Amino acid sequence: MLKAVHYINQFFGQVGGEESADFEPVLQEGPVGPGLLLNEAMKEVKITHTVICGDNFMASHPEDAVARILKMLEGLKFDIFLAGPAFNAGRYGVACGTICKAVKEKFDVPVITSMNEENPAVEMFKPNMYIFKGGRRATYMKQDVEKMAAFADKIARGDKLLPASMEGYFPRGIRHEVFLEDFGVEPKCAADRAFEMLLKKLKGEPYETELPIPKQERVPIAPAVKDLRKVKIALVTSGGIVPKDNPDRIQSCSATKWGAYDISKLDLLTAPEFKTIHAGYDPEQANKNPNVVLPLDAIRQYQKEGRIVEVDDQYYVTVGTGTTQAEAARMGREIAQKLKERNVGAVVLTAT
Amino acid sequence: MKLEIGKFTVKDIVFGDRTFYEKGVLTVNKKEALDVVFEDSHITEAELYIVRPGDEVRLVPVKEAYEMRCKVSGGQSVYPGCTAPVEPVGAGRTHALKGCSLLVVGKHWGSFQDGLIDMSGPAQRNTIFGSMPNLVLVGDTDEEFERHEQQKKNRALRWAGMRLSEYIGKCVKDLEPEEIETWELEPVNERASDVRNLPSVVYVPQIQTQMEALGYNALVYGWDGNRMLPTYLHPNEILDGAIISGSFMPCSSKISTYEWVNNPMIKRLMREHGRTINFLGVVLSNLNVVMEEKVRSAMMVANIAKSLGAEGAIVAEEGYGNPDVDYILTLVELEKAGIKTLGITNECTGRDGTSQPLVALDERANALVSTGNVSELYELPPMKTVLGELESLARDGLSGGWEGCVREDGSVIMENNAFFCSDHISGFSLKTCAEF
Repeated sequence: MLKAVHYINQFFGQVGGEESADFEPVLQEGPVGPGLLLNEAMKEVKITHTVICGDNFMASHPEDAVARILKMLEGLKFDIFLAGPAFNAGRYGVACGTICKAVKEKFDVPVITSMNEENPAVEMFKPNMYIFKGGRRATYMKQDVEKMAAFADKIARGDKLLPASMEGYFPRGIRHEVFLEDFGVEPKCAADRAFEMLLKKLKGEPYETELPIPKQERVPIAPAVKDLRKVKIALVTSGGIVPKDNPDRIQSCSATKWGAYDISKLDLLTAPEFKTIHAGYDPEQANKNPNVVLPLDAIRQYQKEGRIVEVDDQYYVTVGTGTTQAEAARMGREIAQKLKERNVGAVVLTAT
Repeated sequence: MKLEIGKFTVKDIVFGDRTFYEKGVLTVNKKEALDVVFEDSHITEAELYIVRPGDEVRLVPVKEAYEMRCKVSGGQSVYPGCTAPVEPVGAGRTHALKGCSLLVVGKHWGSFQDGLIDMSGPAQRNTIFGSMPNLVLVGDTDEEFERHEQQKKNRALRWAGMRLSEYIGKCVKDLEPEEIETWELEPVNERASDVRNLPSVVYVPQIQTQMEALGYNALVYGWDGNRMLPTYLHPNEILDGAIISGSFMPCSSKISTYEWVNNPMIKRLMREHGRTINFLGVVLSNLNVVMEEKVRSAMMVANIAKSLGAEGAIVAEEGYGNPDVDYILTLVELEKAGIKTLGITNECTGRDGTSQPLVALDERANALVSTGNVSELYELPPMKTVLGELESLARDGLSGGWEGCVREDGSVIMENNAFFCSDHISGFSLKTCAEF
């Protein structure tokens, strides 16, 4: 029998509704609320503890909330972490995603939650965990809980796990080759699959591509800056260059945070005062000379030559590897907002 | 154009006093067969073996697979422009030993495009050759200039394979076939109105031709595909030997010569002709290195297809990585011409499955069949017998091997890349990629 810890919010934790949304995290023994249903449905897994936390508390103090919950879990022995189901509740979904991600990173156990496809947390967290496709409202509690329970049992038994579409969770962006016969699907050779798909496409009938191409949001290229001497210029990078202690704890991959750091007194970035925390490329050169990723040395040279006049006092950075498009777009919007507030007119954006 | 393939289904292969076929058994006179191999003085060593499904045998480095066949009428050779003068193929009668193949294996030295076949065990199913009896030519050559090169033309062994497969194929030349398959497609402007009313479709194979030096690429009537522009072929020409596999591509992406003459995509399209579609034929494309050449080929494919009146097209890319650009460009150009497309190729999602599956992506490529992930990791148990040299996988730059991937006990860890033709982009693949 595997041991599980279950995370729920104040409402399902029977603390109270919106008025109790600031409820600070607590750890209780045994299952609570939906946990009772989960426990009943799971044959191989038992919920030993439940974490209850107010949605507002998690939303307004995420780092504090996560730190406190991780601390509570430190002393426990558990094999699986469950959260929700969160249905279409946005804050609850983000809370489940946030805590599942943190628990997986720290304890390296399987994490399972459930949300409706319209819950914004799905886009934010689906690469990081099993998020089962759930109903819109709590009236779907039983169905959603049963899906999570069946999968937890499969993990407990060590069963072969099927592709996302067969199991019913949102695909995590992990593609592996498979022999369809291994999943009880009658094997069909590629030529036959191709012909049948083309015929449907020709007839205008629905078909399912085997390799969905994500919809690309193209950002129109901005018009050229007429006179670089008349605008404030900022340096922005997804290359992970941070002050050596990484004060904002930007993650090395699948980043959800960005930082802004002062460069007003610097003519160039020096090592080891600056370094990269990016896990998606060989850091050797960037750690020797951070200017190869964030070209402060070159921008100062331009300033000396009079080609540009004003440079923003701080630079902006995140890590661009394994990040979902949704997260990247959110960080992009936030950084752009900050740049506008600071009256920046042009950006040198370096990617790696 | 009408082509008859006279079929002789081989259930077993044995060695004997003479070379003949009888009641499902192919008997091979080893000495006479080796004499054919040694006709080329560049062959320094050669031996023949027989492997059957279930044998505890691993073959590596496998360089090529051929179907043993011969021309009966309508031409002289099944390898025009290679082992025989150029002449048209695709009409008349060809006799073929079906359900078996001739595999050509390096005795010592491997190259980038060579691969591995297991005849039993967990990876038996990874290539179609694991589930049929095969005659195996294991040889070495005096091609010193490329002995230690990662890229090898493998010319002496590939040509020896062609000679030998045709020589053995000739043992059924004068026999009455057990079954005759007829492949016929009338000229595009001479089709009945009920056929013309069906959606018209072209097949667009993109053969691997990205080696700028000659001698490595796939051949069309013996012509190096690197030096061609997209052209129109009758599907029978391919089923009768117009395309010879090259010696330059990561192995799981390779389409062997055996698969060209048995191409299941062409066969399906031919069978559907007049029933559900009007099959217009093959627009043969190459794959290029220079961007302008990629654009030119994609554009010409679309123009030929459009001029033929195609409403649908199936594009198959023999390779991955850089040529994904040619693949996506061609799909997009066809879509822009109003032709509904489908693409078949493999993916490269990395060992952990999280990499972007194709180098180039475009939303207009919205109907894709996936035949595997080149970088999928496999651990293979040791086999009792190795034909060839196991160490070549680790030593000679085979696409899915690396230094240290062959263990002392004979077990292996490698990428799918190193399985012989295992993504079967020709259409045989029983694999796909699924998202987890």
